[in-house]
Amino acid sequence: MAPPQKQMRPGRQLAVLGAIFVVLYLLVFFGGGASGSWQDRLEPKLGLDLVGGTRLTLEATNTVDGQAPTAENLEEARQIIESRVNAFGVAEAEVVTEGDRNIVISLPGENRDLTEVGSAAELRFRKVLQVADGSGAAANPPPSPSATPTATPSGSATPSGSATPSGSATPSGSAAPSGSATPSATGSASPTPSSSVQVTASPTGGEGGGAAAPSLSATPAASPSVTPTPSASSSPSATPAASDGATPVPASIEEQRRAVEQKVGAAAWEAANGLQSPTDVTTDPSLVEKLKPFASLTDREIAVLPAQMQFNVPQITCGQLDARPPASISAVDQQVVACEFGSIKYLLDQAKVVGTDINDANAVLDQTSQWVVSLDFTGSGQEKWTALTREAFNNEGAACDPSALGDSGNCRVAVVLDNQVVSSPEILGVLTSNSQITGNFTQQDASDLASTLRYGALPVTFEPQAQQNVTATLGASHLRAGLLAAGIGMLLVIIYSFFYYRLLGSVIFLSLVLSALLVFGALVVLGRQIGFTLTLAGIAGMIVSLGVAADSFVIYFERLKDEIREGRSPRSAVSRAWIRARRTIISANAITLMSAVVLYIVSVGVVKGFAFALGLATILDLVVVFLFRHPIMTMFARTRAFLSPRVSGLGRALPARDKPAQPRNPRAKEA
Amino acid sequence: MAGAGLASRLYRGEAGLDIVGRRKVWFGLAGVLALISVLSFAFLRFDLGIEFAGGSSIQVPASVGTLEQAEEAVDAALATEGGGAEVVTAQKVGGTGDDFYEMRTSQLSTEQSNAVKAAVAEEFGLPVSDVSGSQVSQAWGSQVTERAVLGLVIFLVLVMVYLVLRFEWRMAVGAVSSLLMNLVLTAGIYSLVGFEVTPSTVIGFLTILGFALYDVVVVFDKIQENTRGITANSNQTYGEAANLAINQSLMRSLNTSIVALLPVGGLLFIGAGLFGAGTLKDLGLVLFVGMAVAFFSSITLATPLLVLLKNQEPRIQAHNKRVLARRAALERGEGSAKSAPRPTESAEERNDPEAPALAGAAPKVGARPAGKRPTGARGGRPAGGGNRPGGKRR
Repeated sequence: MAPPQKQMRPGRQLAVLGAIFVVLYLLVFFGGGASGSWQDRLEPKLGLDLVGGTRLTLEATNTVDGQAPTAENLEEARQIIESRVNAFGVAEAEVVTEGDRNIVISLPGENRDLTEVGSAAELRFRKVLQVADGSGAAANPPPSPSATPTATPSGSATPSGSATPSGSATPSGSAAPSGSATPSATGSASPTPSSSVQVTASPTGGEGGGAAAPSLSATPAASPSVTPTPSASSSPSATPAASDGATPVPASIEEQRRAVEQKVGAAAWEAANGLQSPTDVTTDPSLVEKLKPFASLTDREIAVLPAQMQFNVPQITCGQLDARPPASISAVDQQVVACEFGSIKYLLDQAKVVGTDINDANAVLDQTSQWVVSLDFTGSGQEKWTALTREAFNNEGAACDPSALGDSGNCRVAVVLDNQVVSSPEILGVLTSNSQITGNFTQQDASDLASTLRYGALPVTFEPQAQQNVTATLGASHLRAGLLAAGIGMLLVIIYSFFYYRLLGSVIFLSLVLSALLVFGALVVLGRQIGFTLTLAGIAGMIVSLGVAADSFVIYFERLKDEIREGRSPRSAVSRAWIRARRTIISANAITLMSAVVLYIVSVGVVKGFAFALGLATILDLVVVFLFRHPIMTMFARTRAFLSPRVSGLGRALPARDKPAQPRNPRAKEA
Repeated sequence: MAGAGLASRLYRGEAGLDIVGRRKVWFGLAGVLALISVLSFAFLRFDLGIEFAGGSSIQVPASVGTLEQAEEAVDAALATEGGGAEVVTAQKVGGTGDDFYEMRTSQLSTEQSNAVKAAVAEEFGLPVSDVSGSQVSQAWGSQVTERAVLGLVIFLVLVMVYLVLRFEWRMAVGAVSSLLMNLVLTAGIYSLVGFEVTPSTVIGFLTILGFALYDVVVVFDKIQENTRGITANSNQTYGEAANLAINQSLMRSLNTSIVALLPVGGLLFIGAGLFGAGTLKDLGLVLFVGMAVAFFSSITLATPLLVLLKNQEPRIQAHNKRVLARRAALERGEGSAKSAPRPTESAEERNDPEAPALAGAAPKVGARPAGKRPTGARGGRPAGGGNRPGGKRR
C-alpha cells in the first residue's frame, strides 16, 4: 500500500519537480546552442507561418531533350524531396510543385543549405578500370605551376608504405624537367589519398604502390620508361571503350558533341581522340598546347564528351567533372568518368548494381568507430552485388588496369553518387551479404547519405536556383492572436475551476502555470536540439493540451468529492481519491501517448510534428500530475483551510452527510 | 426549482437518467447519423483547402509598396475576377535582388488568373508581364494522408489490445466503436456543412482520438468498479449498474468536456472573430465539434453498446434473469430488499436506515469490500485511514 509512504514525502516529489525545472531552465539559458541576450535565449524556434524561413526553387532539367517532366514524375520527385527534407528533423517544411517544372522547398529558419536535397541521388556501383590524376597538373607544363600541384599529391604519397622510395623520388622528379614529373605524380597519387581517408581502401594505397612499383621505381631513372607501362595497360581498357561506342548515343548528344568539336577546334579534337591514356601528353609535350581549348569548356560541354576523352584529356579537371550537370553519368550501360576527393579521375565500368537494388540504408558506426552507411540489398540486388564483387575479386578479363587495382591485386568498386565517387573500396572477397559504404563521413554526412539513399533517387533531375528568404505566411498578428487565445483559454479554465472547485481552483491554476512554463522551456530546448519548430497550429495544440491537462484535475477532484461526501476526512480522502484517480488518469494518458507515439513513428510531415507536440504535452501533464498536484494536495489536506468545506469547494458535497438519505449513494459510487 | 434540483442531483451523481435503457434510440440515432455522414462523404465530399487541392500563386514585384498593399490589391482583383477565390497566404520572397511578394490563392482557371494579373498590374501601373502567376501543387501529399491513415489503423489496433488488457474485449469494442463513430460523425458534419478542410483540421481531428477515448475510459472505469462482483448479489442487472455508473460519472464527463472545450472556445472566438479564417479557427472548429460529439458518443454509444455485448455473456444473462426474478418476487410482496446478501462489512451497512427504500433506484453493488467508515479517520490516520482494502485495486 503506497499511500501512507506517499504522504510522508510530498516534499521530495516537489523537490524532484524543482530539480526538473532548474535543469530545464539551465538548458534553456546555458545549454548547447544558447546564445545572445537573455531574451534571445528564451525564444522558441518558430515555424514557417510565423517567422518565415528559407526557400529554394529546384528547376527540373532534362539533359536529353529539354522537355518538362511529366506531372507524375514531378509529383513523385516532390514526395521524395519532402521525405528527405523531413528527415532533417521535426521542423515543418513545405514542399510544393510550381508550374510544370519547379519544386519549391520552404523551411523555417535561415541559412540552411538545401542544395543537397535536390540532388538526384542516382547511386551506381561501378568497377574502377583506370585511374588518373584529375587535379589538372599535367595540363600545365610550365615548371613552376606544375611543381606545386604535383608536390601536393606526391607529398601525401609518402604514407603509402611500400612506395616510400618512390615518394622520395617524386619531389626530385618534380624538380627535374616537368615532363617526367607528371607521370610519377599520376602513378603514386591516385591510390594514396584513398589510403589516408578510407578504411577499406587503406591497404589499397600501399599495394597500389606495389602494383605500380615497376613504373614508380623507374621514375628516378628515366621518365620515358614510365610511359610504356600505363599505355600498355590502356590497351585492354581500350576494348571496353569500343563497346562503349557500340551503345548508340542519342542524336542530341551527337549534335552537342559536334558543337564542342567546333568550339575546341578540329586539331584539339583530333589530338584528344588520338589519346590512348592520360599520360600520353608527357611523351608528346606538343599535345599539351593542342589540348588547351578543353580547359575552357563549360561543365555542360564536358558532360557530352565521350568517356574516354573525359578521362584522357588531362586539361579536364575533377573540378569540371564534379560540376557536370546532374545525371550526366547516370546511364547504366555506359562507361563513365568520375572523380574522388576532387583530384583523382577514375574511368569506370558500366554500372552493375544501382540504387534501386538497395532496400534500406542506415548510418552506423563500424568497428573502427568510423561512420559508414550500411546497405541492405533487395533480393535481386543482392545477386547482382554478389556477381559484381565476384567479377571484381577475380579481375575477370583483366579489365582493371594494374594501376587501378587494390592492395591485394583485386579490382576496386567505386560507389558513385550522382557525379562523384563516394568511395572506392577494393573487393577482398565475393560478398554475399549486406555491404557498407565507407568514406571519411561525419555522422551528419553518413545519415544524410543514408536518408538520401533510403528515399530513393529522383525520377527527374533538378538544378537548384539561388536560395531565397521568405517572410512569414501568417505573421506576427496571428502569433499575437494565438497567444491571446491561449490567455483567454487559460483564463476561462481558471475562472471555471475557481467557480466550481473554489480553493481547489488555485491548485489547478498553479498547475496550469507550471505546465505552461514546462512546455515553454521544453519548446525552447527542443527547438535548439532537434529543430522542433512551433507553428500556429502547434500553439493552438498546446492551448488545447492545457485544457486536457485540466481534465485530469477534474477526474481527481470529482473522486475527492465522492470520498468526502462519503464522510472521509479530507486527509484520508486525498490519498484514497489519488489512488483511484491515478488509475484513470494513467489509462487515459497512456492512450493519448500511444496515439502520439504511433503517429510519430508512422506518419510524415506535419502530422509527425503534431504527434511530437501531443506526446510532449501528455508527458508533461503526467509530470505535473505526479510531481506537483499530488504532493500539493497532500499538503493542502493538512491545512485548516482545506478542512473548511466552504473554502475547499467541496462544500456542496459535505452537507449531504447531514441528510440520512445521501450516504447511500455515495457508497455505491465509491464501491 | 426543478432545474436546480436536476443540477444538484447531477452534481451528486444522482440524476437518474436512463441512458442504457434507451439504447435502441441511441443506436438508431447513431445509425442514421452515420448513414447521413457516409452519404455525405460520397456525394458532397469535402471542401479541401489549397494545402490539399493545390492553388495558384501570384507574384508582384516588391517595388509596388508594402505587403499589405499588394495583398489588398490582389484581394480586390480576386473579388472581381477571381470567382470567389481568396488570398490564403501572402509573403515576401527575397534575398537575391529581385524581391517580390507572393500571394497564394485558391485554384484559379487560366482566364481568371490572367484577368487577376491584369487587374493587379493596372492597379500598380505595372506592365502585365511584371505580375506573374503559376499553379501551385498541394503541399500535403497523398503520402502524408496515407501514412496518417496507416498510423490511425495501427493506433486503433494497439488501443484495442490495450483496452482488452486493461478492461476486457467487450469494453474495448465499445470504446473503439464509439471512437470510430465519433470520427465519422465529426467528418460528416464537416462534409455536410462544407467547412474547409486544412492541415490544421486534420491535426485537430487526430487530437480528438485521444480525447474521445479519455471520456470513455472515465466512464468504463466507473462501470468496471460498479460491476465488479455484480453476480454475487441480485440487486441490479448489469445494465442498471452501468447506467448508474454513467450517472455517477456524468458530472465528471461533463466537467472534463467543459474544461477541455473552454480553451477551444477561446481559440474559436479569437480565430473566427479576429481573422474570419485561418489556422486558429480551423483547429478550434474541428476540436469543438469533435469534443462535443465525443461527449455524447462516450455516454450514449459506448456504454449501451457495452451493455448489449455484456448481456450476451451467459454469466451476465443468468445474473440478469435472477435479478429480474427476484424483483418480481419482491413486487409480489414477499421478502425484503434488506435481506439482499451482503458478503462483507454488513455491519457498516446497518448504518443506512434508508437502504431498502433506495435499493431499486440506486442499487448498491455491495460486493466490494470497501465500505464507508462512518466516523472517518478525522482524528488522523491511526491505522491508515485511506488505507482501505478497496484502495488496493490497481
